[in-house]
Amino acid sequence: MATASVYKGSGFDFSNHVRNEFLGSRGVKLPKATSTGTTIVGCLFKDGIVLGADTRATEGPIVADKNCEKIHFISESIRCCGAGTAADTEFTTAMISSSIELHALSTGRKPRVVTAMTMLKQYLFRYQGHVGAALVLGGVDSTGAHLFTVAPHGSTDKLPYVTMGSGSLAAMAVFESQWRPNLERDEATKLVAAAISAGIFNDLGSGSNVDVCVITKDKTDMIRGFELPNERGRKERKYTFERGTTDFHVNSERIRRLVAEESITPFESPEAMDTT
Amino acid sequence: MPQQRQFNPYSENGGTILAIAGADFAVVAGDTRQSEGYSIQTRYAPKVFRLTDKAVLAVNGFAADGNILVKTVKQRLEWYRHAHAKDMPLRAIARLIQTILYAKRFFPYYVYNILGGIEEDGTGAVYSFDPVGSYEREACRAAGAAQALVQPFLDNQIYFKNQKPKPGQSHPTHLPLDHVLSLVIDSFTSATERHIEVGDGLEIYVVLARGHSAQGLSNIPGAQEISQTDEGERVFVVRRDLKKD
Amino acid sequence: MFLTRSEYDRGVNTFSPEGRLFQVEYAIEAIKLGSTTVGVRTRDGVVLGVEKRTQSPLLESSSVEKIMEIDRHLGCAMSGLTADARTMIDHARVTSQNHAFTYDEKIKVESVTQSVCDLALRFGESVEDEGAMMSRPFGVALLIAGIDELGPQLFHTDPSGTFMRYEAKAIGSGSEAAQSELQDKYHSQMTLEEAQNLTLRVLKQVMEEKLDQHNVELAQVTVDKGFEILDEESLKAVIDRMQS
Repeated sequence: MATASVYKGSGFDFSNHVRNEFLGSRGVKLPKATSTGTTIVGCLFKDGIVLGADTRATEGPIVADKNCEKIHFISESIRCCGAGTAADTEFTTAMISSSIELHALSTGRKPRVVTAMTMLKQYLFRYQGHVGAALVLGGVDSTGAHLFTVAPHGSTDKLPYVTMGSGSLAAMAVFESQWRPNLERDEATKLVAAAISAGIFNDLGSGSNVDVCVITKDKTDMIRGFELPNERGRKERKYTFERGTTDFHVNSERIRRLVAEESITPFESPEAMDTT
Repeated sequence: MPQQRQFNPYSENGGTILAIAGADFAVVAGDTRQSEGYSIQTRYAPKVFRLTDKAVLAVNGFAADGNILVKTVKQRLEWYRHAHAKDMPLRAIARLIQTILYAKRFFPYYVYNILGGIEEDGTGAVYSFDPVGSYEREACRAAGAAQALVQPFLDNQIYFKNQKPKPGQSHPTHLPLDHVLSLVIDSFTSATERHIEVGDGLEIYVVLARGHSAQGLSNIPGAQEISQTDEGERVFVVRRDLKKD
Repeated sequence: MFLTRSEYDRGVNTFSPEGRLFQVEYAIEAIKLGSTTVGVRTRDGVVLGVEKRTQSPLLESSSVEKIMEIDRHLGCAMSGLTADARTMIDHARVTSQNHAFTYDEKIKVESVTQSVCDLALRFGESVEDEGAMMSRPFGVALLIAGIDELGPQLFHTDPSGTFMRYEAKAIGSGSEAAQSELQDKYHSQMTLEEAQNLTLRVLKQVMEEKLDQHNVELAQVTVDKGFEILDEESLKAVIDRMQS
């Protein structure tokens, strides 16, 4: 049984586990985590990898963020799309990004995609699926271009085109009908955008914009808002309140009076410490 | 070892409806998306229905129950017309819907209803119902998936909650038609922004009492008249696109 | 004549070759044995009046009930087999309450009349699993008075299930004389008081006894007060006014 401890080591802190289990048994609901109910994809093309993601983050049926970033930085030539619990995907990719940087420093080589993939799967496996990250990992290294999916329990796939998240079926339908080997750069980019759009329009968990990241041997292009198919139109009315028509303006005096009076008394006692 | 099996006959099909009563008109609106979980079943499934020349009903919740309910109400209205040689008045429709809903008290229609239209005295009216028939006449009401998003907005803009009139002035009890229509449109575009189950299309029904000019509709593009009585009540529908993501 | 009838006047659902239902016709005859009942419609309301024939000086005339309330806005006067009328009025009351419950509004006079007439035709052999039924036509005619959104109205129903709207109508034993008197004296501009006077005068003409507050019953349906049966005191006042 984990108990609160003055000493805190690295890694997760389980000190509230017992309390939360008890609360749970008494019917207290756990707070809902923000999930990136998401469409993320990646595909291989002639000179590298194209990754794509939508930009909607949800909390149940509510849109929590209309333009979040789901393509995370691992290294200059390796990027990772995340679906699942937002905190888990952000934290996991950031941690592996650090490890990869340290690894690159100590080996003096550019990091490889398999290395990142192995670190991710070992980390996720250790937490038996409780770290809810479903990832699409892609990049180019000395051995060529590689594309993986990493499932929350730690299993991985290596494929020429992959999709993940709640919009994965919609996106995969596009790949299955249109992907072919040795696509040109702009063909692959358009295909990825089409796959993400399929998720945006047919999956309620996905929405807003298309982010795209093109990784080649020499250059990585991260294009935020590659397509913006869902811009909000103009509202019919303006909703500003005229001065003096809300409680705040009318009673601002009363609110000001809530600030407590403060007086400072210098502390002097015969036993006062000698600070000279 | 005893085994338990369960069958859940209900599902929840998303979407949102709302209605606002004016002094001599009523506006009833709903989006047209029908969904289950993260899937869109159809982008055009109407949730608002014209019942008579003065009554419009919006139905939200479990779509299958909603469709049967509307069918039942329409049939009862037809029978009433044959039996009593007149259209059923709005308040009679409201009471009828209560009896239909309460008849299924222990296997309810899983729907929230909002009825809008013109009363016998020519005033605009909105009636809202819970799934087992409790009902109330109100000035405005939102229901469905984005009720929690839209109702507070309406409370602020229609009932002027948390607003104070400027010195020497007072809040109007009823808003003009063009003002109401713009609030309805903004309610739905905003709900579409923040609720994943709202979107695709918007249908706004406008019921005008006799003598009310269609002035407020003139600057709304695409308003289409769908019925008119000899006495002068008119029903219009306005269709708008909503975002489809 | 009776020879031809005897073949076809038993079954309540057998037409004669001439296309007549004798049992229904006999039922209509039964009404002509009933006490005279009069109804007069005005723009302000409807007046109903009945003669209460007291067969015995020992009879409590107040126990003779020939005018009944259906609902706050509906009244009914009868002539013929008054026991049959109870069934019909019970039905009318249920129909009216049911309508108010379901639609939150007063039922129309015509609608409640229609429902009573539907009942009037439900005689004959009972179909399977339809328990006890009326085995013969009702031997009673009704004058149904009421006010709805179309204003004050007076309806007459008979055992054949036919109903018609009247400005003024008399039924029962003295109906022929009473009806022609009504035709003579009725006019559409009548006030409620004039209608009360007319009703009583017509009854007075056809009654054998001297008319007083004990042997007639008067009721009215008005916009303000709905249905009301006049108590002896106010009835006496109306009679005195009529006679002056």
